[in-house]
Amino acid sequence: MALSDLLQFTIAGLKSGAIYALLALGFTIVFAATGAINFAQGEFFMLGGMIGVWLTRLGLPLPVAVLGAVALTAAIGAIFEVLAIRPIADGDPLRIIMVTIGGSVLLRQIALHVFGPDEVPLAAFSPGASIMVAGAAIERQTVWIWAITALAVGALFVLYRKTMFGRAMRATALRRDAARLVGVDTGMMVTVSFALAAGLGALAGLAVAPLTQTAFDVGAGIGVKGFAAAILGGLGNPVAAVGGGLVLGLLESMTAGYINPLYKDAVALVVLLGVLFVRPQGLFGGSGREKV
Amino acid sequence: MRSKALRIAGPLIAAVIVAVLPFVVADRFLLKVFTYAGLNVLVVAGLALLFGYAGQVSLGHAAFVGLGAYTCAILTTTLHVAWPLAFLAAGCVAALGGLLLALPSLRLKGHYLAMATLGFGELMTLAFVETVPLTHGVDGFTGIPLPTIGAITLRAPAELYWLVWGIAGVALFLAGNMVSLRPGRTMRAMHGSELGAAACGVDLVGVKVRAFVVSAALAGLSGALYASVIGFISPSVFTLAASVSFLAMAVIGGSGSLAGPVAAAIVLTLVQYLDALVPGISRETAQVVQAYEADVYGLAIVLIVLFAPGGIGSLFRRRSREGERA
Repeated sequence: MALSDLLQFTIAGLKSGAIYALLALGFTIVFAATGAINFAQGEFFMLGGMIGVWLTRLGLPLPVAVLGAVALTAAIGAIFEVLAIRPIADGDPLRIIMVTIGGSVLLRQIALHVFGPDEVPLAAFSPGASIMVAGAAIERQTVWIWAITALAVGALFVLYRKTMFGRAMRATALRRDAARLVGVDTGMMVTVSFALAAGLGALAGLAVAPLTQTAFDVGAGIGVKGFAAAILGGLGNPVAAVGGGLVLGLLESMTAGYINPLYKDAVALVVLLGVLFVRPQGLFGGSGREKV
Repeated sequence: MRSKALRIAGPLIAAVIVAVLPFVVADRFLLKVFTYAGLNVLVVAGLALLFGYAGQVSLGHAAFVGLGAYTCAILTTTLHVAWPLAFLAAGCVAALGGLLLALPSLRLKGHYLAMATLGFGELMTLAFVETVPLTHGVDGFTGIPLPTIGAITLRAPAELYWLVWGIAGVALFLAGNMVSLRPGRTMRAMHGSELGAAACGVDLVGVKVRAFVVSAALAGLSGALYASVIGFISPSVFTLAASVSFLAMAVIGGSGSLAGPVAAAIVLTLVQYLDALVPGISRETAQVVQAYEADVYGLAIVLIVLFAPGGIGSLFRRRSREGERA
C-alpha cells in the first residue's frame, strides 16, 4: 500500500513537473535572448488553453484546435515582442520586465473580455480509463503530457544544437553585439524566442487543461511555478530547466501527499526563495555562464 | 520652474487643501472615497520610493496591505490589544515580511524580487483564505473596532479622513526627507549607474532592502487603517489585481518623484468612484469604466515604459523645455 502511494505521488509529481518544465523552458529561452524575466509567460499558458477550448467550440476537431491554439499563441507572442519589447532600444531589463507585467495584465483582461470569466473544460486527447501500473493509476492525459514534453524538449534540442538557426539563437544569447557582427539578425532572434516561449506555454496549457479545466486568470499562479522551476534548475540552461521542473513537481506532490495538501502551492515559493538564498545558480547550474 | 519656493510651497498648499476638504465636502460617501484615496497614497508613497528611486518592482504590495490589515484585525478584535499598538504592530509585521522576502531576492543581480513578490502575493492570498481560525477565511473578518487613541474613538467620516491623511502626510514628509537627503542621493546614484554607485561606496543591496522594507511597512500601516476604518476585510481585497493597480499608480506617476505617484494614486482612486463624483455620469457608464480598469492599468504601464519612462509628468516637462528652446 505504502509503495503504491509513493508511486502514485511520483506519477502526480512528474505530471505537474512536466508542465513546469515546459514553462521553465519558456522563461529560459526569453531570459537567454533578452536578459529579462518574461512575466507574460503564464499568460501564454492561459491563452493556449482558452484558445484551444474556443477553437473546439467553433467545431474544429481536437487535434486541429490544439495545433491551431499553439500556432495562434506563438503568433501572439511574436506580435507582443514586436509591438512592446522591440521598441525598448536600450534593452534595459527593468523596462522589459515592466512591459511584460503590463502586457500580462492586458492579455489576461483581453481573455476575460473575449472568453468570459468562467472555468472551461477541454476534451481529453484520448478518452478512456486510467492505465493501472503496480497499483497506481496513470490517467491517459498524463501520458500525453509526458509525450508532449519529451517531444518538445527533443525538438528544441535539435533546433538549438543541430541547425544554423539554433546556432544564431545561441550566439545571440551569448553575446548580442558579436552575433550581430557576424550577420545574425538579433532582433529577429528575440522575436523568435518570444514565439517559441509562447508556443511552449500554450502547449503546457493545452496539455493540462483536460485534467484541471482552465480560466482567464490561471496565468499568474502557474507563471510563478514555472519560474521557480527555472530558478531551481538554474536560469539560462534548458536542460536544467527541465530538471528543475520535474524536481519541483515531485517536491509538490510529496508535500501534498505526505505532509498536507494545503501546503502544495506554498512549495514553489519556498523553493524559489530557498534557492535564491542558498544556491542562486540552481541545482544543475555550473558556473552559470553559459546561456542556451 | 522647480524653484526652492515652489518646492516648499507646493506641498504646503496641497496639505492645506487636503486638511480643509471635510469642511467643504458635506457628503459622507464622498468623504469616504477621499479617505480611500489617502489609504492608497500611503501604499503608493512606499512604492514610489521602491520603484521610482530604488528601481525595483513589486507585484505583491496588496499582500503587505493584507498582512497589516489582518494583523491589526486579529490584535484588536481577537486579542483586544490597544489600537495604537496594533497599528504599529501591523507595520512591523509587514516590514518583517518584506525583509524576509527582500534579503534573498536582492542579493542577486536581475529582477528576481519582482517574481518573488508575485509568489508571495499568491501565497498570502492562500494563507488569508485557508487559515480560517485566524482570518475567518473567505467569509471575511467582521467587527473590527474603529481606531481608538486613549479614550477617544474616531467614528465620524471627517475624523477618519483626518486620521488617514494625517498618517499619509507624516509618511510623505518622511519619504520626502528620505529622498532629498543621503538615502535619496544614494538611490538616485544607484538608479543612474549601479556600478558607479558601488564604486562610490554605496551598499547597493542595503539600499534596495531598506527601500523595500520601508515600502512594505507603509503598505502594512495602510492595511491596518483600512481594516479599522471599514471594519471588515476579506481575502478578495488583497489580490494580484490590487498589487498591479498600486504598481500602475507608481509607474504612471513617474519615477524619481513623490508628487507624481501621489497625484496618480488620488486620481486613479477617484476614477473608481466616478458615478459618485461627477453628477452627470450614469451608473452604467461608471460600471463600464470599472470593468476596463485593469485594462487601463496594463496598457498604461506598457505605454509609459515604452514612451515616457519618467512618467506622465515627464512628458510635460520635456515639452515645456522644448517650448523654451523654440
